[in-house]
Amino acid sequence: MELYDRYAGLSYAVAMRVLGDPGRAEDVVQEAFLKIWTNAAGFDPKKGSLRTWLITAVRNRSIDYLRGRSAHERQELELQPELASTSTHSDPWREVSLELERMAVREAVGSLPAEQRQAVQLAYFGGYSQSEIADMTHVPLSTVKGRMRLALEKLSSYLLGRGLVDV
Amino acid sequence: MSDHEELESTVAAWVLGALEPDEAASIRVHVEGCATCRQTVARLRRAAAALPLEVEEISPPARLRERVYVAAAAARASSVPSAPARKKVVPARGRWKPVASIPFGRLPALLAVASVVLALLIGLAAGNVIGRNSVPPAAAQVARYQLVGHGALAGAHGTVVNLKVEGVALVDFNGLPPLAKGKVYELWLITPGGHPDSAAVFVPDSNGGKVVLVGLPLTGYTEMAVTAEDAPNGSPTPSQPPELYGNLG
Ligand SMILES: [Zn+2]
Repeated sequence: MELYDRYAGLSYAVAMRVLGDPGRAEDVVQEAFLKIWTNAAGFDPKKGSLRTWLITAVRNRSIDYLRGRSAHERQELELQPELASTSTHSDPWREVSLELERMAVREAVGSLPAEQRQAVQLAYFGGYSQSEIADMTHVPLSTVKGRMRLALEKLSSYLLGRGLVDV
Repeated sequence: MSDHEELESTVAAWVLGALEPDEAASIRVHVEGCATCRQTVARLRRAAAALPLEVEEISPPARLRERVYVAAAAARASSVPSAPARKKVVPARGRWKPVASIPFGRLPALLAVASVVLALLIGLAAGNVIGRNSVPPAAAQVARYQLVGHGALAGAHGTVVNLKVEGVALVDFNGLPPLAKGKVYELWLITPGGHPDSAAVFVPDSNGGKVVLVGLPLTGYTEMAVTAEDAPNGSPTPSQPPELYGNLG
């Protein structure tokens, strides 16, 4: 299956990054693909990219496993991001685009001050809330918010600066 | 700081899923009615969606692909017959007749066939999701049955996905206990008269899971069962009563 072959590696890697457990990571990836194939309600191609939807589903489910919480007990990442999918590119371009985007993301994340990087990574890959992150890092809540915002603004500028807006 | 500015400063935490649920609910309400914040949200979400790209890809085990295929095909099969009480499959001598296992050489070809069929099924499902066109349900081509473990195999179960058109079935096993040294699991198809035909031999992975391809049409069989037999090729006849079984229909 084309979708699986294209995104299984990324999906599995994200699940492994969150969970560190191959068996659970497999379960999460399987669930996410099934969700996208069987649950028509969850995905609207006008609103976002399939990849973002899939990876977000993988991330959310992984966090559920990791933190032992059910979805209604915490804030989920939105499964319908308001991203205009303007892409009319052919598939080869999308592959190239993904690779360029990855390089840009790594560069951008690598260039963030450590405390900003830590704040977004604890939230995204650790599923921690801003107050938990404030406790863990011994800074006021407002500082955590500020770090998250600065980090995302910089990432955003980086991607826009490289014309990689079709996330 | 005005209420608006306070809320706006929380947008980054929101798109990272880092708000408490009540906070998330209130900012959602605000954003829906505030054009400025909607723009901020769109921009920051794009950045947050890029975060996972930082992770180095890892190829998942090949069996995950099979699992996903099987599960997707199973999900497409709309009817899930409940498993009625077990019929007698006690291996009465003379009724369990010797039958050859599938030659291993056939398996790659069969797997290719099954992959194509499943890819088609999944493709149809994906078409539905994307809403391009509606397709007729695949239930007529795919049926699903459950195998349930008992005794030493209590806790094991299998989902049979029968791809009728191709005369191929897949069984997605989970929770199988590790085999004793020198043993393999053997899958049997059983006729209404209690005659078992060997369908496959297999060894589960370390998690007790396995996707097994059955290269025989299920037509004419009423039950499927699993026993542990001698490695590597299994036995021409079951050497013990099965402890994992279910009805086909
Ligand atoms: Zn606002």
